[in-house]
Amino acid sequence: MSFMKELTKGLIKENPTFVIVLGMCPTLATSTSVNNAIGMGMAATFVLVCSNIMISLIKNVTPDKIRIPVYVVVIAAFVSIVDMMMAAYVPDLHKSLGLFIPLIVVNCIILGRAEAYANKNNVLNSLADGIGMGAGFTLALTVVATFREILGNGTWAGLRIMPQTYDPMLMALLAPGAFITLGTLMATINLLKEKK
Amino acid sequence: MKFYLKLGLILLAFCIVATALLAYVNSITKPKIAAIKIKEAELAREELIPNSAFEEVTVKTGKDSIVYYVARDKATKELKGYTFTAAKIGYSSNVKTMAAMDKDFRILGIKVVEQAETPGLGANCTDSTFTKKFRGLTPDQLMVDKDGGKIQSMTGATITTRAVTNSLREQIALVKKDVEAKLAALPAQEVTP
Repeated sequence: MSFMKELTKGLIKENPTFVIVLGMCPTLATSTSVNNAIGMGMAATFVLVCSNIMISLIKNVTPDKIRIPVYVVVIAAFVSIVDMMMAAYVPDLHKSLGLFIPLIVVNCIILGRAEAYANKNNVLNSLADGIGMGAGFTLALTVVATFREILGNGTWAGLRIMPQTYDPMLMALLAPGAFITLGTLMATINLLKEKK
Repeated sequence: MKFYLKLGLILLAFCIVATALLAYVNSITKPKIAAIKIKEAELAREELIPNSAFEEVTVKTGKDSIVYYVARDKATKELKGYTFTAAKIGYSSNVKTMAAMDKDFRILGIKVVEQAETPGLGANCTDSTFTKKFRGLTPDQLMVDKDGGKIQSMTGATITTRAVTNSLREQIALVKKDVEAKLAALPAQEVTP
């Protein structure tokens, strides 16, 4: 596959959230508002790109039998370093994204892409895969958050969309709302795919 | 046997490298992070009671100790109030709140300085829509509405609301006790100069 194809496949065709169904926990937790969704998406993309590169670099020195523990060590160490560096050098960014960093460690997109892609492909393609998958994750989160924030709070990215008289549907912000929104969106995407 | 030993050693090597890296990064970032935290605390105090000079007071209560700051007007040296930090475990993190109160122990303002609650729900406790609910309340009113107090809990985040409210109430009680004990111990002419 070409570099461009690797870059774009994560957006729709192999979207990590809607199609591969990875990283459900952070999707449900952080899609309550568009700002959170974008913050989480960006932090995850950053870690994903870096971990994909690292895993791709060490793929030849890691024995197959212990690859998963090695990946976990590499990713966890990496995320912790990013967390500390951000807190020390860019405290403002850390304030808005720092909340999501512990969630990234448990984001299975990172480990999933390391296992399914980066340990079989070269560094350049892994980089493209990381960017594409990260963008797809950000896009998916933003779409889910758009529905949840407008219905549950009447705003989009903090801007008021619904009239003041709108009575927010609180359920959209709670866990059931996340499941219903996500399920409906997945069904829609499958429907569109079948029609093609 | 040899094969498994080799696997273990490789994993050990990865862990050692990762640990060494983490230790190194931690050693260079720790003082910087600590300095940023101190500065943030100073800014937060200044925001809660502006134009004041703060004096740190540390009190030993059994094993623990509490720290609070006495705020006096920079020019007139008049007593303006007290600031302190209260913390309690919320839903998924330790919620730290900085609060200021006037000399009658009424809340002047609060600021949630550290939390990692659920984004969109508990994490809304840093919003001014939530923190301004505390303004002007006396310690007795500091209770979540479900427990019979004046604080309306945040949607889907009663536990976070409770953590903030209860930690403040408990900390105020501690500070108040100490302040009153110190006032009582003072000679009369110093209280009314």
